[in-house]
Amino acid sequence: MHELSLVESIKDIALHHARAGGGIRVLSIRIAIGDLASYLEEALATYWTEISAGSEVAGARLEFVRISGELLCLSCLKRFPSKRLDCPCPDCGSEWVKTTEGAECYVESIEVETSP
Amino acid sequence: MPIQTIQVSQNILDRNSEIARQNRSRLDAAGILALNLMASPGAGKTSLIVETVRALKNRLRVGMINSDTTSAAMDAERAENAGATVIHLDTAGRCHLDAGMVRDAMAQLPLRQLDLLLIENIGNLVCPAPWLLGSHLNVLIASTPEGDDKPYRYPRIYSGVDALVINKIDLLPYVPFDLDCFTRGVAALNNSLVRFPLSCRSGAGLDRWFHWVSSANTSLVEKFAVPPEAS
Repeated sequence: MHELSLVESIKDIALHHARAGGGIRVLSIRIAIGDLASYLEEALATYWTEISAGSEVAGARLEFVRISGELLCLSCLKRFPSKRLDCPCPDCGSEWVKTTEGAECYVESIEVETSP
Repeated sequence: MPIQTIQVSQNILDRNSEIARQNRSRLDAAGILALNLMASPGAGKTSLIVETVRALKNRLRVGMINSDTTSAAMDAERAENAGATVIHLDTAGRCHLDAGMVRDAMAQLPLRQLDLLLIENIGNLVCPAPWLLGSHLNVLIASTPEGDDKPYRYPRIYSGVDALVINKIDLLPYVPFDLDCFTRGVAALNNSLVRFPLSCRSGAGLDRWFHWVSSANTSLVEKFAVPPEAS
């Protein structure tokens, strides 16, 4: 249920940027989520309806862009794609790996309606 | 109506990190060292807190933020009876603490009258990991009955902590826990953490933990300001 706190942050970020940019209503929010970030799109969308109600972001559509996961093997320094955090190195088999891409979760852009 | 796209590119956890920085400043100003204690349910977070409060209360004034997913405050009572100043935080079902909850709890504590703040996170090995609270040290409490596979199954929480307590070592003869396998898994994720094998029940290893907690101070742990999450 950690998605609830994320949704509150998404709302704050969208409201802040919409107001700063002269938006009167937010139509959609584009969110980039890494494959290794362990956040569920469905859960974010479920909380969104409830959390966004009664503000300029109410009814805004959430759009998701996925970022592929990449790990770095700290034994042989190979970089390799992975959908899991704990995948051993395909070359040398080492389990000593570090996430280099795909742990992030950020608001990429928002689409707003402005006054004519 | 005209429609416009605004580029944002802001990490969703930024707002939490900002509040965490404010919490840290407030703690530093009050001269308080804060520990974020994370663990699975039943690993012994409260037992370790109770033992720590008992051992250090003559030297340090200890505060505790006790979190639970409900209003059940039995853990808070245990720590209070041991001598801590306690705030019970009911997260209303949420699976982790965030910086905002800690800020609100800190506002209810007499910060000027504390030296050490123990923040008991929600029992969970997944959700608390990416959320900075403003604590100086992040501590994970593992326990032998949980099994030696936990670093392999919950890598994120192991990679982000500064210290690892291995509780219930008195049960090692009775439970299938391969300390070598466990240690290898931890070292693969995090080579710089300090380990405390101990037992809150038998008392073994506790003195070393008490010594570490009481000698850590806010100026020694500046390096832990680095956020645990890659962004």
